[in-house]
Amino acid sequence: MTTRQPRPVVLLRPVPGTSAIHELWAGTKIIVVLGFSALMAFYPDWVPLALVTILIGIAVRMARIPRGVLPSVPTWLWLLLLVGCVTAAIGGGEPYVHLGSFEIAFGGLLKFVRITVVSLVLLGLGMLVSWTTNIADIAPAVARLGRPFRFLRIPVDDWAVALALALRAFPMLLDEFRLLYAARRLRPRPVLTSRRARRRRWVIEMVDLLAAGITVALRRADEMGDAITARGGTGLISAALSGPRRADWVVLTICGLVCVVSVVLQATVLAGTGI
Amino acid sequence: MAQAAVMAALAAALSIISVVVPFAGGLSLLTTVPMGLLGYRYRLRVLVAATFAAGVVAFLIAGVSGLMVVVNCAYVGGLAGIMKRRGRGTGTVIVVGLVAGVVFGLFIIAALTVLVRLRTLTFAAMTANFDGVVSVASHIELFRPAAQDARHLFGIALQYWPLFLMAYAMFSIMVVTLVGWWALSRVLDRLSGIPDVHKLETPDESGPVAPVPVRLIDARFRYPNAAHDALKPLSMTVDAGEDVAITGANGSGKTTLMLLLSGRAPTSGSIERPGAVGLGQVGGTAVIMQHPESQVLGTRVADDVVWGLPPGTDTDVAGLLREVGLDGMEERNTGGLSGGELQRLAVAAALARKPSLLIADEVTSMVDQRGRESLLSVLSGLTERHQMALVQITHYNNEADTADRIVQLSQSQDNLVESAAAPTPTDSPAPRAAEPVLQFEHVGHEYASGTPWAKPALHDVGFTVHEGEGVLIHGGNGSGKSTLAWIMAGLTTPTSGSALVRGTPATECVGEVAIAFQAARLQLMRSRVDLEVASAAGFSPHDRARVSAALAKVGLDASLAGRRIDQLSGGQMRRVVIAGLLARSPHALILDEPLAGLDAASQRGLLRLLTDLRRNSGLTVVVISHDFVGLEELCPRTLHLRDGVLTEGPS
Repeated sequence: MTTRQPRPVVLLRPVPGTSAIHELWAGTKIIVVLGFSALMAFYPDWVPLALVTILIGIAVRMARIPRGVLPSVPTWLWLLLLVGCVTAAIGGGEPYVHLGSFEIAFGGLLKFVRITVVSLVLLGLGMLVSWTTNIADIAPAVARLGRPFRFLRIPVDDWAVALALALRAFPMLLDEFRLLYAARRLRPRPVLTSRRARRRRWVIEMVDLLAAGITVALRRADEMGDAITARGGTGLISAALSGPRRADWVVLTICGLVCVVSVVLQATVLAGTGI
Repeated sequence: MAQAAVMAALAAALSIISVVVPFAGGLSLLTTVPMGLLGYRYRLRVLVAATFAAGVVAFLIAGVSGLMVVVNCAYVGGLAGIMKRRGRGTGTVIVVGLVAGVVFGLFIIAALTVLVRLRTLTFAAMTANFDGVVSVASHIELFRPAAQDARHLFGIALQYWPLFLMAYAMFSIMVVTLVGWWALSRVLDRLSGIPDVHKLETPDESGPVAPVPVRLIDARFRYPNAAHDALKPLSMTVDAGEDVAITGANGSGKTTLMLLLSGRAPTSGSIERPGAVGLGQVGGTAVIMQHPESQVLGTRVADDVVWGLPPGTDTDVAGLLREVGLDGMEERNTGGLSGGELQRLAVAAALARKPSLLIADEVTSMVDQRGRESLLSVLSGLTERHQMALVQITHYNNEADTADRIVQLSQSQDNLVESAAAPTPTDSPAPRAAEPVLQFEHVGHEYASGTPWAKPALHDVGFTVHEGEGVLIHGGNGSGKSTLAWIMAGLTTPTSGSALVRGTPATECVGEVAIAFQAARLQLMRSRVDLEVASAAGFSPHDRARVSAALAKVGLDASLAGRRIDQLSGGQMRRVVIAGLLARSPHALILDEPLAGLDAASQRGLLRLLTDLRRNSGLTVVVISHDFVGLEELCPRTLHLRDGVLTEGPS
């Protein structure tokens, strides 16, 4: 007897194995994601969408990411999408397609699909980084990227240290949350009759859970603080030097070109066509 | 800094859950609390650093929406925290919330004004959806007028979107601020009683670093506001290159002595050193502490060795790792290391500072037997290989054997006296019907099944536990024993096989098999002992008699009922957890590493208690542990778990 279980969301763990994409500098990936996010925000149109989707597809192929990485999508989300599609389709609008004597209005549906695709592409970009990047590389890359901001007296290095520690503490906290949740499930549910009592109970429980969570986090923070003091304060956060290599420049150039091409196309040739 | 980072991680975790998990949007309201706490306790800079860290983590996982949640919560929570610190009341908070709402609204409007295309697209998609609903509704005669009106209103709303957004921003920020303010006040009240456990501090000193030889003359230490000395007057010396062991029970001041050696000034008496302590500095003092997980700061092994060294330091990472037996693991993630490996990594990180004095404070107490042996063998040769003095603090006498000299600390009076009264034995032992309680058949489990991260944890596990039996499931780190415990308690559904509790699948009767986790503090959710026991057992906290009875069953005095959870010792916490669990008369009691982190006396007391409970009331006990020592009487039967495969051990 084997029970099929939904595939869980796996956080902050790269797909095992290595590839050209895995070996890119983390800073490059961050720049690319930020750049494409900005592109999507300013030009959420079909041409940029298609170009970015193609790039994501190539990267996924290069990184040899299997289909299993996608978590199972719950049924209600599909339903929600379907309802959205149907209402948008009924909503109608330009353009119209003539099929014999029928006239079908695709405008609403197209717009709905486009905005869904935009959010999916943005999600996919983030996922791609998380699937191919060792989290240990992120903080040093951020520190390096933030170097120019030092002249504005922004404490980039402190931020990078905080980021590195947060990334280190994150899985531990997740484990502790899992435990907290389990411990709560083990308890009997108090039988409450009135709605008021139930609401009060809920409030008390919320505060208790929050207090337990924060106490644990504070304790962990104190211990980490001790560990930092024992090491004489903050300093290096990485043993290896991090920085862009040739492959990174190639990738950056390609992505930059894609951005420029889409912006230029949208602003000139396709301007006003509504595509 | 550490607080900022951990709070940031907490905030990020909360906001990610609120974005990723459906219907958990309400959780994002609570993200304001950790940020508020930072705003309350520290300066703005810390809050900003935490926001940055949390924002990046959230962005990496949940994309832009995660980032927005974090930024928003940091904004609101930070404001609430700062208000709280300044001691302002609810009135000010409302005003500040309004102003913050206006600022936020302006920000959104500005953003949407710039992002024309995104705005038009979103509005067009919304209009399409809305039109669709309206035209469906219009087919029904009854709804037609209402639908037309709604359509008209929607059109107006879109036309004057800045106004609507502003109103929405003001309203939502207001609500979030008030909720955050309220939750923060509640949580701060709760936290006010937690003793400040922050221990180490950077000594204020200058001059050349030379911590040894150190000489203590009648040094005594008392924590501020404490009624007793944590360390009685002590005179001792540690010379250069010496290997000294310090032993003593909990409460004898071992950890306090560590603090004094690492730079705290004694309350009276004196400490003489030739130079500065140099905590964490090259040639100074290095400290390795008890908790393996929280003192490893890097995410990658090699990064952790150099973590915190001044930039430009050249370190032979490979050589250091070889010395502690972790050769070739530079690129491994620290998250996957066992407790013993983490502690050896901490030793490597300490050695990277070429210390003249290395203090190891109960480094083995949270490590399994194999890890302990390898860790001790690393420590024992240090003084011969390096120019340094080693101070090992331990409550295991056998660990002190390799030292040149042993200092025994005498018991000081601890203000929390553990009531070790023997539990009242029930005269009539429960009938041993030897019915099967837990039945496992071909149970297998795989984490993240179906994804590239799939990790098998258990293979074809089959065993039966009968009523009144005491079973030890023994296995090292990563053998799958915790997974097994979770399946027994019904908290995890195994991927294959059947796990039955008296004939019903374990997952359908969660709570009927009690489980005490290793981290007792996480299982204690209420603020006071009586509330906790009552909540865990499911009866009214006003039922004093039942609370006292539950406490008496685990050998705790009824006077403890009014005590706050955070003022309990580790052993007492564990007993309170067990009291709450037993009060529900569970089919079986599972204990995950019940002895970890307790000193020898508390361990003996807890074992005695559990053995008596099993003997006298026929309690079925399953202990999950990496240790055998002392468990023979409680658990006559032993099952060995290795790499997910279970074998019956010699009884």
